[in-house]
Amino acid sequence: MRVAVGSCLLFAVLLAGCATPPPPSHPEARAEFYRTNDPLEPTNRVLYKVNDALDTMVLRPAAIAYKAVTPEPVREGVHNVLGNLTTPGTLANDMAEGKPRRAGDTFMRFLINTTVGGLGVFDVATRWGYPAHDADFGETMALWGVPEGPFLFLPVLGPTNPRDALGHGVDIAADPFGWVGQGAAVTALTWTRFSLTALDERSRVLGELSGIKKTALDPYATFRSLYRQHRRAQIAKLRADRAATVPAWFPAPAADAGR
Amino acid sequence: MTSRRAALVFLAAAPALAVGWPRAARAQTAAQARAFIDATGTALVAVIDGPGSNEQKRAAVARIVDSHVDVDGIARFCLGRFWRVATPAERGQYQELFRKALVLNIATKIGEYKGVTFKVGRTTPHDDGVAVATVITRPGNAPADVEWLVRQVGGAPKIVDMVAEGTSLRITQRSDYASYLSQHDDKVSALLTALRAQVATKG
Repeated sequence: MRVAVGSCLLFAVLLAGCATPPPPSHPEARAEFYRTNDPLEPTNRVLYKVNDALDTMVLRPAAIAYKAVTPEPVREGVHNVLGNLTTPGTLANDMAEGKPRRAGDTFMRFLINTTVGGLGVFDVATRWGYPAHDADFGETMALWGVPEGPFLFLPVLGPTNPRDALGHGVDIAADPFGWVGQGAAVTALTWTRFSLTALDERSRVLGELSGIKKTALDPYATFRSLYRQHRRAQIAKLRADRAATVPAWFPAPAADAGR
Repeated sequence: MTSRRAALVFLAAAPALAVGWPRAARAQTAAQARAFIDATGTALVAVIDGPGSNEQKRAAVARIVDSHVDVDGIARFCLGRFWRVATPAERGQYQELFRKALVLNIATKIGEYKGVTFKVGRTTPHDDGVAVATVITRPGNAPADVEWLVRQVGGAPKIVDMVAEGTSLRITQRSDYASYLSQHDDKVSALLTALRAQVATKG
């Protein structure tokens, strides 16, 4: 019942929030409207404002405080631990993308950093030749040929699109640390991880975000453009990544030895 | 007979030459673009880390922007289809305001970039000139991939775009202006007012 009411409400919001294309008498404006591909713009803008208010009141002050009270090495360690917790998900995506070298890097990173790196506090793997990379199911689907779809701005998640939002959900559901155990302690740990991730990510872009908000005439449109460009570049880079499976330190096969 | 063979050989070689020449020329412009970005970056770093008051640094940055960046070209690109709608007077005012805003934006970041280092990487041909890859490292930050688009403007190499981690400065700016204009009845005068306010609050 509650679900039915919720979906009715959502449908009403979406219906109210549809943008109308400019009339055919303005062909250029019309072409731009379709290029922008943001049919839910009015709704998205409302959600942007909600998110922005939450950020100004809660997340940004919290991130500033976090940066003020914790010394840089501690923050670095927290960042590394959080990153190490995401490696199983990254590995699954690397494999689903058919990128054996990236998958190998991720696997070695998890092994090295969890043991030698003290449960992920120190990123030893990067120094040993296994650099970090991100992978998510949105990217994986992009490689499979799933189009991004129209622009979306969601609460908490921020700028996204249907493909990446779905990918985010799949990544959360597939995270093995989400399956382990139950009870108050596990719930507390899960929330701690979620909050720390938010603090860590937000504190790393304090200067950038306020800079964009200050210089943009329409921050919403600027974030929309930035998100899309960045995402497309990430996917193009991933698609072009054809690194050999054989690491550089492995003895070169005879055929390649002359090169 | 021999001369005919020579002619044949020449004819056979001609396409190779024709292909080879532009390639050589392109390689030269690529090397030029690379050297140009290296020199511009070194000059900027010298200002950022050098002595002098903020005021002096800002003036020095403005000089580098004026001589190394195709500001008018970028300004026109960012206005997109509205450039044709704008009156000559509006165009002039717009270009002047755009330049001021750009210099201000760069100048306000001088402090953040203290101790910055950069490495020039490979060059790739681009529809609009040559793209020069760099890796910029600020102390306490992860290295960032930034590509510079260089084109010959009036016989000299000029920067026409900066692409940071896949995001193009001029494309982002153009969508910002386009969205602002579409919410203000496509009036260029409204954009000019907003830019004037922006320049005034920071100047």
